[in-house]
Formats: sequence, C-alpha cells, structure tokens
Amino acid sequence: MPWYLYLAFKQLFPTGRRFPFFTFMSGLGVAVGVMLLVVSTSVMGGFSYEIRRMIVDTQGEIQVVAAGTIDNADEIIARISKVPGVVAATPYAQGTVMLEYRRRPVFPLIQGVDLSRVNRVIPFNRYMLAGSLDNLDDDSVILSSQLAASLGAMVGSKVDIFSPLLLEKSNGDEIQLPRTVRIAGIFEIGHQQLDRSVVIASIRLMQELYGLKDSVHGINVRLAPGADEFKTAAALNAVLPDDRRALTWFESNADFQHIIRFEKYMVAFLLMFIVVVAALSIMSSLLISVVRKTREIGLLGALGGNPRQIAACFCAQGLFLGLAGTAVGLLLAWLMLTFRDQIVQVLARLTVGEEVFRQFYLFAKLPSHTVGSDLVFIIIGAIISSTLAGLVPAWRASRLKPVEALRNE
Amino acid sequence: MSNAAVILSAQGLRKDYLSGDRRIAVLRGVDLEVKAGESVSIRGESGSGKSTLLHLFSGLDAPDAGVVTWAGTPAQPERRALFLGMVFQSFYLIPELDALQNVLMAGRMLGRVGEPERARAASMLAKVGLAERAEHLPSQLSGGERQRVAVARALMNRPQLLLADEPTGNLDEQTGDAVIELLLDLCRETQTALVLVTHNAAHAAKTGRQLFLHEGVLR
Ligand SMILES: Nc1ncnc2c1ncn2[C@@H]1O[C@H](COP(=O)(O)OP(=O)(O)OP(=O)(O)O)[C@@H](O)[C@H]1O
Ligand SMILES: [Mg+2]
Repeated sequence: MPWYLYLAFKQLFPTGRRFPFFTFMSGLGVAVGVMLLVVSTSVMGGFSYEIRRMIVDTQGEIQVVAAGTIDNADEIIARISKVPGVVAATPYAQGTVMLEYRRRPVFPLIQGVDLSRVNRVIPFNRYMLAGSLDNLDDDSVILSSQLAASLGAMVGSKVDIFSPLLLEKSNGDEIQLPRTVRIAGIFEIGHQQLDRSVVIASIRLMQELYGLKDSVHGINVRLAPGADEFKTAAALNAVLPDDRRALTWFESNADFQHIIRFEKYMVAFLLMFIVVVAALSIMSSLLISVVRKTREIGLLGALGGNPRQIAACFCAQGLFLGLAGTAVGLLLAWLMLTFRDQIVQVLARLTVGEEVFRQFYLFAKLPSHTVGSDLVFIIIGAIISSTLAGLVPAWRASRLKPVEALRNE
Repeated sequence: MSNAAVILSAQGLRKDYLSGDRRIAVLRGVDLEVKAGESVSIRGESGSGKSTLLHLFSGLDAPDAGVVTWAGTPAQPERRALFLGMVFQSFYLIPELDALQNVLMAGRMLGRVGEPERARAASMLAKVGLAERAEHLPSQLSGGERQRVAVARALMNRPQLLLADEPTGNLDEQTGDAVIELLLDLCRETQTALVLVTHNAAHAAKTGRQLFLHEGVLR
C-alpha cells in the first residue's frame, strides 16, 4: 500500500482509538443521505409499480377504445389476436349505475366482462375473497370488498340496479322497475379506490342496462410476458381501423403516472441536498484536519513525499468516507424497506391510529420498488460528491510549502 | 578523514526574503563542505538564518543563488528520502501512528515496508533505547522519548547526511544532553555526516567542527 493511502487509513482509524468519532460522524451524514434517497425513490417507485400492476391486472396492458362504441368486437379481436405479442383479448362495457341495498344507494362503476374469455386477460380469481367468477351469470354481480362492507351486503344478498337508461325512461309516466340481481362474489384488489367503487357484471347484463345491444366500449388486451407494450400498441394501431385506438396502460393513465414520476424526482431532488450537506461536512472536517496537521504535512515533505501524494492522502479520506457511508446507507435503506410495514405500523399507531391511516392511503401496504438505474445514480452521486469534498482540502494540503509548514512552530 | 567523500557541498548560497517592500538578505554567500563521518555544528543568533540554511541543504527550499550538491550531484527532491534524514525542534511525529510505525514511515515513503524494514525499524528503536515502547503513541511518550523516535526515523533509511535543527530546543538539559550523545554516537557508528544547529555551546563543542552563522555568512 502506498504511504499516502496507509496514512489516510490511519487518520480515519487512528491506532489505539477504539471508536473513530470523526470518521463515524462524517460517514454517517453520507449514510443517512443515501438511505433517505434510496428509501424515498423506492417507495415512490413502488407506487408507480403497484399502480401499473393493478391497472394491468384489471385492464390488460393495452386497451382498444373508440370514440363511441364498438359494434364489431369479435372481428377486431380476431384481427388483433394475430399481432405478435398478443396473448388474449376480451371486450368490456362499463358505466356508472345506482346500486341499492336495503334503501342504501351507492354509485359504483360497473365493469361488464365477457365471462367466456375474461379469465385469459384478467386474473379475477386471484382477487376473489368470497364466491367465484364461475358463479357469475346475467342475473348476478361481484362487488368490491369495501363496497360490500359499506352496504352490509354478502354473497347471496339481492341488490337493485338503476341504470341511467332506466332513470331516463322514468321521466315519462310509466314507473320502471330496477334490475334485481344476486351477489355472486366479493373481490379485493388492494387498491383503496377500486375496492370502494367497482362492480363486476357479465357483459350482457351491462349491455342490457345501458341499452348497448351487441356493442361494447372497448377491448382489453393481454400481452405475452416481456412483450413491449408500446411497440405492440403501435403494431395494433397499424392493423386497426382509423376510429379505433390501442392505448397502453401508461397512456390511459398518463396524468397520474406523470404526477407520480414528478413527485419522485422532486423528492429525490430535495433529499439530494442531504448528500450535499454531508459532503460539505466532510469537506469542513478534512479542511480542519489539514490546518491542524500543517506541521505534519511539512514533515511528510521533509521525509520525501511530493505534493501530489499528500493531496492523494486527503482525497482518499473523502473517497473512503463516501464509499463507506454509501455502503452503510444502502444497508440501512435495505433494512428500512424490508421492515417498512412494521415501521409504518408503529408510526401510524403513534400518530393518527392505524385505521385512519389506512383510509387515506391508496394501498393496503406501503409499496416499494427499487429501480436499478436510480440506485446506480444515487451511489455514483454520493461517492462523487464526497470525493469532490476531499479534493478541496487535498488541494489546500498540496499547496502547503514544507518549509513554511515546518516554520509553523 | 581528509580523503573521505564529500557528502554535502554548498557554494555561494544566497537567500533573500521580502519583508514588505524591503528585501532582507538572510544568507549572503554560504560555502560549506561536509565529508562522510564528519560532524559540524552551526550556531548563531535567533533569526540569523540557521533554519533557512538547513532547508536549503535539504532541498526543501531553493537558494536565490548558489548550488547545493549531495554526494557530488545536485540536490533533487526525489532523492531526499534516501539521501538524508532530518530532526526538528518539535519532533513532528505523526500522532495517529505508534512509535514503530513512525520510524517505519521513512521506509514507507520509499515503498519499503517488508519484513526487513520492520526488523530495521525495530532495531532502530532498540538503538535509541525504546524497544519496549514500540507500540506507544507519541502522546504516550515524553519529549525526550519522542525526539529519540524522531532520531530513529531520521536514520531509518541509512542516510548519508543527517540535518538536525535545534533538536534539544524543547528538552530539559539532561534529556537534551542524552539526545545529543545518542545522535553523535549513531552518526559516528554509521559514518553519517551530521549538521547540527544548536544554541548550546556544550553540545556544539562535541562536534568535529564548530561554525557560526553571522550576518549571512558561515565562519
Ligand atoms: N518566509 C519568510 N518570509 C520572510 N522572512 C522570512 C521567511 N522565513 C524566514 N524569514 C526570516 O529569515 C530570517 C531567518 O530565519 P530562520 O528561521 O532561518 O532563523 P533561525 O536562525 O533559524 O532562528 P532561530 O534560532 O530562532 O530558529 C528571520 O529574520 C526570519 O524572519
Ligand atoms: Mg531556526
């Protein structure tokens, strides 16, 4: 090991000192900064990732939509099924209705699905809490969990559905009876908004409620794992008639995705300053050390060291603090992300209580998704800024003339 | 003695310092030749330029005129670690390193830290009477002990020249006497040329040649 690296190491971990306080404090700043950056970008990334997963699970990667309704769904499905990357496609019709149970009205979104093929696109069975998709027919619906809970309805209960069409008709003189259906099952996706407001029905029931005859609102498309959704969407648009458009999950939820992405970068930008402050504190403690060690630096010159080596000695200390701080920060971030549910539980219990917390929260659990490129960016940023922080003191040290440093008695 | 090699030679050394807009000539033409195994003492008033002169000898500072040669070739910073050792009034040990590592530091500067160098550092410590204190930090040593570690470090690389700038300035009389004895003994033993700057007439009297720096010239 060159002498300047040895000396750098010894200045960080002096012989006979059991706890190197300076090293610990300087490294800690970097570690905290790195930890917060990794945790925050992971959690923000987790929101994006979970939302994507839910959208894709409930709509497929791509939706084919039209300005109005689509009346030749089977023909279009036959056409898009031939496009490479497409595994399955299923039509849907959706709209808001009034649903009443024991004189309590709610206004959920009904999603009408094609019972014969929906399972190949949307894995409903994975989300069923009670009952089963197999029990769904044209006289029954499946409720989302919180909707069912708020109504007090269970599998087997009967509910009344009033469609806009029905309400329109009853403007006339005749009294229209609501459509009475059975609850065939209850599902839960894990997304507060969906679990509060979605009802699944057969597409024929939905067509009847909305007076759609045989037409549908759109087609959900499932892609093969690994297929590029944007490229496939472009390929689909090439075979679709001009008034039909294939939208990826991202495009149909673009506003929301952009907000999340913006928030993620905003938070990262703000937290970045912790790393900058940590680097500044490394710089100031190394500068103090250069001033304090003026005479020893002179001596190193007298012993034969050249200015570049002396600079390297201080630079190496900055680099080491950056590396060690980053490593510890990554470890802390991993611990925090691993135990995030426990941490959130404790925090929630200490502040507003778990129930309140969950209500205002999009997800049942705190999501986390760490993106490799974010990690690389954080690691490189932390190491570069602490090395730069070492550069200023190193430059100061290398400019000290041994003669003047030694005269400093 | 007279046919021994010239280790240090200085010819016409001049050094000026600017003090405000005035130019102060500190050294005004110093000539000196020191041969292997020789010991020379330099005395002079405070501020007469003794430290300045040693810095020129060591190549840490450049003269405004004149030349310094080491064993016949011009002084070069890259050769310093191997050619000469220095001892200072304030010891200048590295506080984070124990006594042995401080001595070994001289070898480290040359990239030599193998077993032979460790053994050499340990034997140097033994020679200055600190074999038992190898693992002590400078802060755990007395002033005299620290200066002895500094002497061991200065001689670690078997230099041909030892420059000592008031090595007893921070020590009490008895301790100072002992350090000077040690310095002279070790240099005599290894035929190392010694230039000793001191204020102490008794210490100067023990060297082979006694010089005074006065008004910028050596006499
Ligand atoms: N960098 C400098 N700038 C201006 N003047 C300087 C500088 N270095 C030394 N001097 C002056 O040069 C003169 C000689 O200084 P030097 O340290 O060599 O004296 P010295 O003989 O070693 O004194 P002492 O016995 O007190 O150690 C002093 O007057 C000092 O003020
Ligand atoms: Mg002096």
